[in-house]
Amino acid sequence: MPKDQFKTRLEIAKKKILEKNLYNKNDNPSSIGAAFKLSTELVAAVAVGTIIGFIFDKTFGTKPWFILIFFFVGVIAGITNVIRSAKNMQK
Amino acid sequence: MATNPMTQFQVYRIGPEIKVGAFDISFTNASLFMVVSSLAILIIFNLGSKKNSLLPNKLQLMSELSYTFVSKMIADTAGSKARPYFAFIFSLFMFVLFCNMFGMIPYTFTVTSHIIVTFVLASFIFISITVIGFIKHGFGYLKLFVPSGVPVVLLPLIVVIEIISYLSRPISLSVRLFANMMAGHTMMKVFGGFVISLGIVGGWLPLSFSVALTGLEILVAFLQAYVFAILTCIYLNDALNLHH
Repeated sequence: MPKDQFKTRLEIAKKKILEKNLYNKNDNPSSIGAAFKLSTELVAAVAVGTIIGFIFDKTFGTKPWFILIFFFVGVIAGITNVIRSAKNMQK
Repeated sequence: MATNPMTQFQVYRIGPEIKVGAFDISFTNASLFMVVSSLAILIIFNLGSKKNSLLPNKLQLMSELSYTFVSKMIADTAGSKARPYFAFIFSLFMFVLFCNMFGMIPYTFTVTSHIIVTFVLASFIFISITVIGFIKHGFGYLKLFVPSGVPVVLLPLIVVIEIISYLSRPISLSVRLFANMMAGHTMMKVFGGFVISLGIVGGWLPLSFSVALTGLEILVAFLQAYVFAILTCIYLNDALNLHH
């Protein structure tokens, strides 16, 4: 008999843990981390785009053009980055 | 009293000057705190895993909790395929966490408030994940830059955008950690300076502010280590399981 009792108690405890996990999944503990993440993602892509444009300008000697183009491409890349990670957060 | 809030970030030499070629590799305060935090990690986890008693003491509990924390983080974000990289992500997380936390002790030096440290960590992660991706998928890894369902006309632009966003990963990873740590520590120093300059009459308000800031900074120190590790997991996930 005590064995059966233990089994039911174990079952109840397992259920409780499962419920807790399900409940925990709803509120994300790292929401502040996510906020930090978004801000830098935008800036970093713009910086990378500008650097690539600068390097191209240096090598080809076409002073302002590549830096202009790649700056805007970098802005677009940053925005897509932010949208993508925001989508990932919603999942 | 240091009036300049940025003097806390100064790197100075401890001991003799060592030079290899044109490089100065002398032992600095930054390297001292890196050694201290790695030693602290080693000692804590060695003592914590020495006796595997059923009823854990505090050290064992701490190391077991951090083990399960990191392993759950990896399982949630990168899946079972990332299991072999557990040791790497665990040591990365612990190193960043301990460096951040050691920086919270007064008169210490925060290693992670220097962009070169965080950038080296991030670029090491970036390079190794790229290599892992190419080993696992061969040239199929380049499919990461070509999302499916894009019209052919837009393809060149999309590929350039994808490449830029891929290259921006190490920069965003390193700038995030460095900027958070530096801004927080500067702010704490500034408010500490206000306490001194306003004296016993008006110094109470900035004092309460800096107490609150200390709490916030401890939170940020943990959170940034967590974000650093979890983003490594996410990038690893991209390299291991190609979704695009």
